[in-house]
Amino acid sequence: MDIFVTILEQGLIYGILALGVYITYKILDFPDLTVDGSFPLGAAVTATMITNGVNPYLTIPVSFLAGVAAGVCTGLIHVKCKVRDLLSGIIMMTALWTINLRLAGTANVPIFGDDNIFDNDLVNKVFSGSLASYKALIIVLVIAAVSKIVLDLYLKTKSGLLLRAVGDNANLVTSLAKDQGNVKILGLAIANGLVALAGCVFCQEQRVFEISSGTGAIVIGLASVIIGTSLFKNIRFFNATAAVLIGSVIYKACVAAALKFFEPQDMKLITAVLFLIILVIGMDRKKKVKKNA
Amino acid sequence: MKKKVLAVVLGTAMTVSLMACGSKDVKVAETSEEKIYTVGISQFAEHGSLDNCREGFIEGLKEAGLEEGKNLKVEVKNAAADQGTAKQISDVFVSDKVDLICGIATPSAQAAYNSAMNTDIPVIYTAVTDPKAAKLADAEGMPAGEVTGTSDQLPIKEQLEMIREVLPDAKKIGILYTTSEVNSVSAIETYEKLAEDYGFTIVKKGVSQTADISLATDEILGGVDCLTNLTDNTVVNSLATILDKANEKKIPVFGSEIEQVKLGCVAAQGLDYIELGKQTGKMAAEVLKGEKKASEMKYETISKPGLYINTEAAKNLGITLDEEFVNSAVESFDSI
Repeated sequence: MDIFVTILEQGLIYGILALGVYITYKILDFPDLTVDGSFPLGAAVTATMITNGVNPYLTIPVSFLAGVAAGVCTGLIHVKCKVRDLLSGIIMMTALWTINLRLAGTANVPIFGDDNIFDNDLVNKVFSGSLASYKALIIVLVIAAVSKIVLDLYLKTKSGLLLRAVGDNANLVTSLAKDQGNVKILGLAIANGLVALAGCVFCQEQRVFEISSGTGAIVIGLASVIIGTSLFKNIRFFNATAAVLIGSVIYKACVAAALKFFEPQDMKLITAVLFLIILVIGMDRKKKVKKNA
Repeated sequence: MKKKVLAVVLGTAMTVSLMACGSKDVKVAETSEEKIYTVGISQFAEHGSLDNCREGFIEGLKEAGLEEGKNLKVEVKNAAADQGTAKQISDVFVSDKVDLICGIATPSAQAAYNSAMNTDIPVIYTAVTDPKAAKLADAEGMPAGEVTGTSDQLPIKEQLEMIREVLPDAKKIGILYTTSEVNSVSAIETYEKLAEDYGFTIVKKGVSQTADISLATDEILGGVDCLTNLTDNTVVNSLATILDKANEKKIPVFGSEIEQVKLGCVAAQGLDYIELGKQTGKMAAEVLKGEKKASEMKYETISKPGLYINTEAAKNLGITLDEEFVNSAVESFDSI
């Protein structure tokens, strides 16, 4: 039982990151590597605030804004300096390494002794008794659900529709007399805000900021998005954002399965195999649809 | 359709070949009336020193009467250097209700402590350079909770003494380190604090990745009398490059463990990670048997460092080593 709690917890935290990756990769069609830097950026901001005694709940909006700033920088580099999308992400990712180290002071900042969003007087009072072991999961679930719902609502607004249009048909946006560059910057800002938010929650769940936590974050994000969207493509009940969250949980379940049944050094290969199998299942569905059409 | 068949075949082939590779037999303890202890080892990454720690740990448990396959079940998991996975591993250990978790290297130790915080499962760590900075111990070195272990702090005092012995006229010691490694940063602080006592000044140069090493080495070699290594992963992995450049300029390089001396460092006051692991294993055995509580045990450092010398490296650099000094070495090598 406990293992499912862990999988859900970690899956949903990375799910928030995957929501961000979904915006850039699926909606904007922008391979954004900033993620490897903005994820630990959220964690660095959080750890610094918490060690300085700031209320842990404030870390959530502040981390989000820090991520937004990072996203805006990537956007400006791409749109205003006309650097290619992949490169502008790499430039920001590299810059953020130093910024994160400077922010946090060192590469590893433990926050064991301090209050955090999972462990403070209020939370401990609300979740007592048998609920106590699920408190982290419930809090993560609330944060992930709120992020998903707000993102869904946003995507239905005028600005959200423009964002979706930029990825699908950039000319349409121009023909509507809107600047597609600004829309891209906005998309990157929201995406990296979500990624940094995930970093903030991750840091408090782990009770430590570690500079290396961002390495490979983009891979996990992409895998979650692809698993989610390809598995649930034709299930109406789940919209894309829900699919992405579930995809992230499935990814973490794959890791857990690999951890459980195989030698540690084989883990990455096993995860890759499971990933491949899931992709193939998703592909099969797509073909059937085409045949029926 | 073809694609799908191919993918499934490939996938199966990959899995089957893995299984065929023969994973180590999971030794299930024989049934006996004695209590069988389960220990979960969470290792952060695949790494020579950390592997030695793990082997030493199991060895140490054995010496204390807890033997795998008899009254001990050991589960080893490796996080492949991913912090999230490290937490997942220790969470699983907690839900499997193991009797003790051993965290190898700082991130795994922190994750294990975090997972086991609200349970009664003790955590023993090893290869954590600075347990105080990692908040696993308080300022006096007492545990932060049911968590204790061993630190692989470098014997810096002995190292400085040794450098003075080998190079009586040296003034500046250069150190290369990775800015993102907390362990290196804290070791350098100690070096800077102690260097003056031996008449040295420390020249440090930080890198952020392997690719920077070559340039950084060229730069630092211009202004130092010798180099000394930490246990910095990035730097140690590029030791061959550093040695090449240093030998060209006839600047001696001192190591921090036996493997580095084998590769061509002149000498080292070094750690033996197997010994460190053994020491940790004995601590774990005391906790498992209920003789002591983890929260009552101060973290330990390795009792005495060993001196390792490479006479061939010294000869190439034109350094004559005192015979008495060479004889005091635990092990000396005469080839590179």
